[in-house]
Amino acid sequence: MKSPSDVAFSALQRTALHTASLLVPAAERQDWRCEWLSELWHVRSSYLRLDDTLSLQSQSEITWFCLGAFSDALCVRELATASGHPRSHMHGSAAQPLLWLAAILLLCFLITSLLPGVRAEREAAQFLVNPNALIISEAADHSWKPSIPAGLYLNWKYTHQRFFQDLAFYHVSRETAHAGSARILWNVARSSLNLFSLLGVPLKQAFDDNSGLPSVVLSNETWIRSFAGDPSVTGKVVRIGNSNARIAGVAPAAAWQLPGAPDVWLLQSDTQIATDLPYKTRGFLVAQLSERGLDAMQQSGDSISAHNLEDMLIDLSATPISAPVEGPWNLYGFALFLALVALPAVSSVSLGETQMTNHRISSREGLRRFCFLGGKFILVAGIGLFASFDIAYCYTASFSPAAECLQLVSCFAICLFGFRWALADQRHRCPVCLRRVTNPASVGLASRTFLGWNGTEMICMGGHTLLHVPALPTSWFSDQRWLYLDSSWQFLFADPGIY
Amino acid sequence: MAAEAKLSHTAAMILQAISVGYVYGFSIMEVTGLPSGTVYPAMRRLERDDLIRSQWERQSIADAEQRPPRKYYKLTTAGRTTLDASRKRYPLLERLMPTEEARSV
Repeated sequence: MKSPSDVAFSALQRTALHTASLLVPAAERQDWRCEWLSELWHVRSSYLRLDDTLSLQSQSEITWFCLGAFSDALCVRELATASGHPRSHMHGSAAQPLLWLAAILLLCFLITSLLPGVRAEREAAQFLVNPNALIISEAADHSWKPSIPAGLYLNWKYTHQRFFQDLAFYHVSRETAHAGSARILWNVARSSLNLFSLLGVPLKQAFDDNSGLPSVVLSNETWIRSFAGDPSVTGKVVRIGNSNARIAGVAPAAAWQLPGAPDVWLLQSDTQIATDLPYKTRGFLVAQLSERGLDAMQQSGDSISAHNLEDMLIDLSATPISAPVEGPWNLYGFALFLALVALPAVSSVSLGETQMTNHRISSREGLRRFCFLGGKFILVAGIGLFASFDIAYCYTASFSPAAECLQLVSCFAICLFGFRWALADQRHRCPVCLRRVTNPASVGLASRTFLGWNGTEMICMGGHTLLHVPALPTSWFSDQRWLYLDSSWQFLFADPGIY
Repeated sequence: MAAEAKLSHTAAMILQAISVGYVYGFSIMEVTGLPSGTVYPAMRRLERDDLIRSQWERQSIADAEQRPPRKYYKLTTAGRTTLDASRKRYPLLERLMPTEEARSV
């Protein structure tokens, strides 16, 4: 009577041998499996002669014996490959282009995963600015010039407003900062505390500070450029001008670029802003309009009127902050769609099948052929995705509309020409074994096209098919044709059964 | 002759074990102390080089003894010649596996 542990070990050992036998070439699999199982019986018997019930140590030694079968199997496989015809087998085989495409895809993916710009684009599509947040400027000025005095902002903020639901302000100046031992010149935006909540953008690696030091938010570019993208940067103290501030987070890379191109935002209370900035210092005003404000803007064409500090009416224009972001997947889908639409313009989508032969390939062969073509298309589409990221973001570490445009164009080009290659490759593959036809031979003379036929003939090295490609398409021979070879041809091929 | 010159100590041990009567994979492992992942591939190579030949024992013999049939190995003429050459190269081979012991098993 076997103990439960013996039954379990026996099952494990037999499973190991059966699994190892799957690695052995099919022709020898059964023989090796029988030999291993037979040997296992004798190994167990020899241990049982020493001990009636197999101890844990005996079981583990027997299991190690079984695991040795994996090494045997790999060795047998290697020997079988070496004694076969690996080169002739691989040359032009269906596996070859798929392996190459998979290798390129993997390489492109690895490069993509290392590029910070790709992450920036993903974030840009993920973190969209509140669509109701607008840059308010005096109508006479451009929105990217500071036009609203700090005093006017404070006045509006603390008086009842019809058009504005919430207001934030910032003023950009060039200041020297010290981060560790490094001395850096930054565009520092002294901004109100509610700026990021009004924009609706969450901070990355946000840090809750209770030390009383002012908070500073890094732009994504500054984080990468000055701190090498260090995720533990938040909580560190930097010196900006004459005062210390603690890094509270990193603004996500986004499609929006606030006017003034700030490198960091030093968040200050309104009281501090009133103290630090003279009343007439002009800065940028970010506002969330009330419903009434939105109605007024729609009626008067993106401009509203408000009272200034002298109680005079001034015209204000409002500019949206968020730029339209397509996002990597939308762009990719669009490029893929364009490539598929444009494909018939650059290549014939026919696979060279002709109805002039009685031979029909089996449904299994047809499915295999379709899967092979589909596999190439999928791999090319994958390469298009990752390679376009690599091309667009190899020189830039941040999101930019130019990089998006480059991504779209490169993805379209790679997919289009990749699909074209996949179709051309398919047309030169034997429908039976998917091996590339080879040994091209010119047949006929171009001057005798009227009476005969001229073109190129290629043959499948597996002995399945002969491909006729006309040099000059005629009304009676416009497309390539496959001639399926019957068994009487087999004696010509050294290794007809390779497939 | 090239095979004789290239025969490793492991392969020579296996040939010696077979020549003295250890004709099954596991018994060769036991007597040589080599692990399973080494012995079987080495025997496969020796078989490929026509130095040994394998054969399954008859099912009737295995049935009579109520066990699975076993594959056994024996030296070919070329294998015997190679082993003789290897004994000159590895003189301790015969002392590792004396013939008398094997015959008594």
